[in-house]
Amino acid sequence: MIEKPVSRRTVLTASLTAVVGAGLAACGSRPSEQAATKTDKPLVIGVSLPLTGDFSQPGSEAKRGYQVWADQINKAGGLLGRPVRLTIVDDASSQDTVVSDYTKLITQDKVDLVLGTFSSLLNYAASAVAEKNNMVFVEPAGGAPKMFTRGFKNLFFAQPATAPHQADVFVDWIKSLPAGQRPATAAYPSQDDPFAKPVIDSMREQLEALGVRTVYTSTYPADTTNFQSIASQMAGKKPDLIAQGAVFEDGVGLVRSLKQLRYSPKIMFQTSAPSNAGQYSSGVGEGSTEGVFYTVSWHQDAHTPHNAEFVADYQAAYQNADPAEDAADAYAAAQVLQAAVTAVGAVDQTKIRDWLHANTVQTILGPLSWADNGEPQGKFLLAQWQSGTAQVVAPPDAATSQTIVNPKPDWK
Amino acid sequence: MAQLVQALALGVLIGGIYALMASGLTLIFGVLRVINIAQGAFLILVATFTWWLWRVIGIDPIVAAVITTPLMFGVGWLLYRFVISRIRGQAPSMSVLLTFGLALVIEGVLNVVAGNKFRSATPAYFEESFRVGRVLLPKAQVYGFLAAIVVLGVLYLILTRTWTGRAIRATSQNPSAAALVGVGATGTAALAFALGSASAGVGGSILSVLYPFFPASHYDWISRLLGIVVLGGMGSLPGALTGALILGLAETLTATYASLQWATLVFYLVIMAVLLVRPQGLFGARLREDAA
Repeated sequence: MIEKPVSRRTVLTASLTAVVGAGLAACGSRPSEQAATKTDKPLVIGVSLPLTGDFSQPGSEAKRGYQVWADQINKAGGLLGRPVRLTIVDDASSQDTVVSDYTKLITQDKVDLVLGTFSSLLNYAASAVAEKNNMVFVEPAGGAPKMFTRGFKNLFFAQPATAPHQADVFVDWIKSLPAGQRPATAAYPSQDDPFAKPVIDSMREQLEALGVRTVYTSTYPADTTNFQSIASQMAGKKPDLIAQGAVFEDGVGLVRSLKQLRYSPKIMFQTSAPSNAGQYSSGVGEGSTEGVFYTVSWHQDAHTPHNAEFVADYQAAYQNADPAEDAADAYAAAQVLQAAVTAVGAVDQTKIRDWLHANTVQTILGPLSWADNGEPQGKFLLAQWQSGTAQVVAPPDAATSQTIVNPKPDWK
Repeated sequence: MAQLVQALALGVLIGGIYALMASGLTLIFGVLRVINIAQGAFLILVATFTWWLWRVIGIDPIVAAVITTPLMFGVGWLLYRFVISRIRGQAPSMSVLLTFGLALVIEGVLNVVAGNKFRSATPAYFEESFRVGRVLLPKAQVYGFLAAIVVLGVLYLILTRTWTGRAIRATSQNPSAAALVGVGATGTAALAFALGSASAGVGGSILSVLYPFFPASHYDWISRLLGIVVLGGMGSLPGALTGALILGLAETLTATYASLQWATLVFYLVIMAVLLVRPQGLFGARLREDAA
């Protein structure tokens, strides 16, 4: 879940390319419009993903998620009776490339459907191409607030909540504590990232309203590698709660620095770093994961429809590796598209779009539904590391563990 | 006061390690006029290999430098002989293209072979600190810093006290004159490239303990290293050390007294200010293009 802000130039390029693309699209009709009844003709879904460059890690996971979904649906007889074929191209984590990729997929390759790419940075530009071409754009990872201020009709963010609402479930938990047990003071370091910072900012506002005193805030750039200075500043203020907007390395880096400085807060929250299961626990040391909170869109053991099959098929396909949240989000995005196409019974972009606006889709992330601007209207899961594994602790119906570790034990 | 001392101490530790990583880049440029964009990828390649040595065989990651350094020396020598030497005499921009391509190849191979995920070596001491009065010095940083100082010292001695080193420096100052007095140009250049790569052997092993990394991390590192080298003066070893210390201190001091968000800006402001006054960098020699 690495996100970058969007430059004005790229937005301009995106819209220009999109306009040109739309003009070209009008010249030809989609294969499915002529031959929708042909059952042997594959239904082609176009995707551009960051398989190299900055976002290559989540991008590759997303590819696996899409692939697992496609394999499953083909085994079950395809979508609308037609085999599904994924056309996945690499955009090298570049906004310019992602725009030309989707333009080419839609206007030249004339794919039947598209699915979204990874990160707000790329989806911001890609969704503009889809919107101009009137293609439904279900995307697995692009929850920055800017995504939803453009009044797009074809955009659907297939996660339970956008960035500013990701920590709501954590604030709910703090609220549920008796006043005496709530943290009195809090520190809020965050990476300057459109996916991490809004989470922490919104949490800080909500906790300040509850009377939690803010003793430290700071924002650091994405390429920060040394966290001792931040850690020693915070250690000096002795906050009860440290809530960090952590993408990944920065989350590991801060915990390691806090350990070096021997400061352990009573409650530790990080946005997405702890969700990278094995990589996080090996980075900070397994003993030190105990009690760390994070919020997450998906959990491996959650009792959501098809989740167990997804995990099993993923493990079978990829040498027993555990799926990452990014793979699950991509799978869920495909599920959303699948549900709509099946319900509508045709590859009709307008009908699919209208159906999604009117209905709730059951996915491995739980039920998803959207506001008119494509913003999802659910809540994330609150997870906590307990005895070396990540457990869902709230909301109660999704919880995999009934206990909550509080206060957090010292780093080990 | 303790806060200031803490920030200064951390800044120096970080700076020493940056200096080691930048030393190879500046050495290679000094002698070959090759801007080795792949230096960052070398670091990540070595870090990944070190991680594997630590995880699978159980060798301490910093000690693993004893293995990775000669290995990278060999890799550097071969790369020069078979790849880099083909652009000898061309504009430095050609070397940027070639070594950038090399960096992409290394990133791609790491993606396929090692997998696209974050790693970091976590030996027992990685989260412990030495306490000096009220100042805490993280052990991993201290060990890394000491290793960096040893390597920089050895590199300095090689360059100033041995015939090979003098040959390398002579070639960097005036290749034609060096050739006239019997310095073999190709051999010396290969040696300089190999030494520069070998420094990434130590640097990468230290990196594996201090910072989580994944195949595409090399972009972050090369941009930081280029900044250091430009500030210090391209081709100058003392310059790289000074530039690295300035970056380390800029990071910790701005993080302590302002916000880390300003750290990068402060560093580049220093670069701009220095370049306005000394376009060749702090310790850089003016290039005489007519003599080259």
